[in-house]
Parts: sequence; C-alpha cells; structure tokens
Amino acid sequence: MNKNRSNDRRVVITGIGPISSIGIGRDNFWQGILEKRVNIKLEKALLDNELLGQFYTHKIDNFDISKFGIDKDKLKDIREWKEGEEVIDLNYLIAAIKLALDDSHIDYHVENNNIGLVLAHENLGLMPFCYKLGNLSYDMLIGKTRKEMTRKNFVEKAYPTFLKSAYDVQSFADLFHIARVFNVSDYSLFINNACASGLYAFEAAAQIIRNKHAEAVVVAASDSPDILKYLWFKNLGIYSPDGLVRPFCKDSNGLVFGDGGVGIVVEDYEHAKERNASIYAEYLGGGFDLEGWKITVPQIGSNSYQKAMQKTFEHSQTAKEEIDLLCPHGVGYQVIDYYESQAITAIFGNNPKKPAITAFKPYIGHNLGASAITETAILLLALKNNIIPPTLNYNNPDTKFNLNLIKEKKSMKLTTAMKICSAFAGFNAGAIFRSLN
Amino acid sequence: MPENIPNNLPDDLEQDMRQLIADVTGKSIDELRPEANFWNDIGIDSIKAIEITVAIERRYKVRIRDEQIPKITNIREAVEAVREALRKKADEQKQV
Repeated sequence: MNKNRSNDRRVVITGIGPISSIGIGRDNFWQGILEKRVNIKLEKALLDNELLGQFYTHKIDNFDISKFGIDKDKLKDIREWKEGEEVIDLNYLIAAIKLALDDSHIDYHVENNNIGLVLAHENLGLMPFCYKLGNLSYDMLIGKTRKEMTRKNFVEKAYPTFLKSAYDVQSFADLFHIARVFNVSDYSLFINNACASGLYAFEAAAQIIRNKHAEAVVVAASDSPDILKYLWFKNLGIYSPDGLVRPFCKDSNGLVFGDGGVGIVVEDYEHAKERNASIYAEYLGGGFDLEGWKITVPQIGSNSYQKAMQKTFEHSQTAKEEIDLLCPHGVGYQVIDYYESQAITAIFGNNPKKPAITAFKPYIGHNLGASAITETAILLLALKNNIIPPTLNYNNPDTKFNLNLIKEKKSMKLTTAMKICSAFAGFNAGAIFRSLN
Repeated sequence: MPENIPNNLPDDLEQDMRQLIADVTGKSIDELRPEANFWNDIGIDSIKAIEITVAIERRYKVRIRDEQIPKITNIREAVEAVREALRKKADEQKQV
C-alpha cells in the first residue's frame, strides 16, 4: 500500500479561532499562554440545594454567543430546535468557527462557497439528555408522575419529556445547524474518536481537500465541563482533587477539565496563495493506530502508540529528526503519562534533547474531544511566533518517564511540530505541521 | 474448583498467580501473601496494576473489565476475578 500523501495538493492552516479559559480569540489566547494565565475555578453542582459534587475546572468567564456577530435568526432556529435551551458547548463550536473564518479572511457569506465542515465532539447533546432522563426518572420514582404506569404510558410520557431530545445525541442535527450558520454546502462530517478527535478531524479535512471535495474545510471541536462527566472520571480515579494538572511528575494526581472550543481553517495551498491568505503552517499528515484493549486504560507494554507515531512520519514524509517541537497528550495521570513516555522514548530515545517537549493541559485543562485541536492551535501559534511555551506545574519531574519537558519559555527557530494523543478506547494518533517561512 | 471452569488451569491457581505477579513486579514470592494489599503492603502502583492485568489476561485467556482493575487489591481477589471471568466464559460457551 502506498502510504504517501494521496496527491500533490498541499494543505495549509489559514485560520485559528480559540474560545478558552485563558482567552477568547487568537491574540488573547496566545497572550494568555505567554502570560501563563490560568483560570481554574471550583465548580459546585447543587441539586435542590444539596451538593452533588464539586470539582476544579478551567473555566471560561462571561461567554456570550450574541457578541460574535453571528446571524441572529439562525441562532434562534437552533434555540428553538433545542426547546429554548442554550447548549453551551454547541455555542462554543459556533463562536470558534466564526473566529476561525474571520481570522482566515475567507469569504463564506456567499452560497456555494466551496467550504467543508468537520466537527469533532465526544458528547455533544448527551448532557441535556441525561438531565432530562434523570429528572423524569426521579419524578416517577417519587410518584409524581406514576399513576398507572404501563410501558406504553411510560413511553408516551417520556417521549415529549426526554426521548425526543435523544435525537440530539445523534449529532447530524448539530452538523446541519452549524453548516447552515456558515453557508457550508460542501462535504461535512462529524467525528468522535474521544480525545484524539481533533487529529482525526485534521486528517479528514486534508483528505476532503486532497480529493477536491472542497477548497477549504473548517475543523472545530468543543467541550464543556459538567458534574456528570466529572463523576465518571472521579469514579475511574483519574480526576485531580486539587485542580492542578502536573504532566509527567511524581505528584501527578489526575486530569482537570477545560472549558472551550477551537475552530481551525484548513485550506488548499494554491487556493490560500491565490487569495493572499496568511498561512500558519502546512499540515503534512497524520498517523493512527487503534489499540483496542480497553476503553479507559491504555495497554502498558503495547507498541500501538509508537505505531501511530511511525505512521505519522510515513504519511507526512517526515523524519523524526526533523521534529523541533512535540506536544504530548500530557494529562497528568500516571498510567497515561507512563504509556506516553514509553512510546516517546522508544521513538526519540531517553531524555531526548530534540524534539523539545512541552504539554499544554496545565494552561487550559483537558478539553476531552476538543483537547487535540486546542493544543494544536497553541502548537501552530508557537510555530508562527518561534516561541516554546513552558509546561506549567512541571516542578517535580518523575525520572521514570525519561523525559525533559520545557520549564522556561524558549525562543528559537521552529520549523516542524508534532502533536500526539493517546485517547480513551486506544485511539492513538499523531499529526505533523511545518512552517512555510 | 467449580465444574464449569476449564480444567486447563494450573492446579494451584493462587500459587500460579503469585508467581505471575512476582515475575511482573520483581517482588519475591514470599512477599506476595494472598491477602497482602497490593497498594499498601506491596507497593504496587496504578502502572504496575495495568501490567499485571495484561499478564493475567494473556496467561489465563480471560478479559478483566476496566472498572474491575482498581478493585483487585490482593492475590486472592485476582484469583477470584480470573475464576469469575472463566465461569462467565464457560456459561457463554454453553449457550452457543
């Protein structure tokens, strides 16, 4: 099988639109990184004035979808579809796409604009559904709506109350609504490969462009912390109780959620050149391997993650020696950190001097399905500015990982950067980007 | 041993398990008393727990569920987890 790129069409990044806890919009976001700005809040979930739980999270303050200049009628249509509810992570997606399109200066206001759309999200629509299910189940449990509850009665009662909203777990409606907001009429796709979704989305976008289905594709992902998600991670024993992500450290005690979303415009190089677009970097290619062992833990000792990295080098036609900067998943949970370190050192050697390695979750938290794309946005800005942001909270490195992460901000010529991710369900992935300057 | 457990298991599963865990962890077999707590008494961490799970699944041809892994805290519970997985497997095979 020819693993090389499918044809000569080159694919570049021309727009970045971040919505994050450290800043909204490209410049504010990058400034947040440079200032080591962190916005961690203790989120308390109350039910009928009783505390269900509390957890630290990287939080966005004062987000208002009406301030992004998005067509009000189309936002109203979405709200009506959602029965009056504002779905925050859907709004993040829309705002992030708007910022990315504005940043790229591509004209999307015309019909048949030849722009495609790839959305990535781990759980879009799931939380509102869970809450409705929970509320109805509770009402039935306490006899509020019990009456003569046959199965038929139950379905009749449940359908308008929450079963209808189950359709929103099928993400095609969100794809429909978002495509409509931005006049997208070309190839569109919804992706869910857990935390690695963003890297699968880049590859999908590149294939869409290389196969000439579109001249440009907006890739976007988002996530919003929630008590129900927290309870899952807490029960797995992988959530940090003190809210500090410490990747590859002795005192790593788990991950912390992050609020936000990112849109990125991926575009055919010639198309971008023709319209004098500003180019952040070229997407050279991605590599993917599905370990297939367990959903929530990686198989220590397997070589699946290494294989994903090797495939990334092959597909991008890049030698590992060319990588200047590497951004790992870096969740700050010992098992995943160890699994990552084993793969990284197998490829680059113990305590490698090159590439420089830095992890971004201590700044923005873990955005789950949006994490890979959000961290890629930082990587792209690092490439553009020739600055390596340090790994925050890297105060107590654990020697068993055999990695030296960047502790202080470093200015140096950066040409090639690699993002890797080891996700739930064993979705291991990598992607390589190269500056054109 | 219950009837529906395949008889290709070692006679003394507990002893076999101790040896397997000794091999994975580098601990002496004497230290691995059946009821010694993996985390507090033996110093096994979450990373070693995954390595042990991989080794158990390979040796006894069973599947341990994700959420079971942190609940296995000593040799005796590891043995019981293997027996339970084998019982389930045997029941499923009977139904086919």
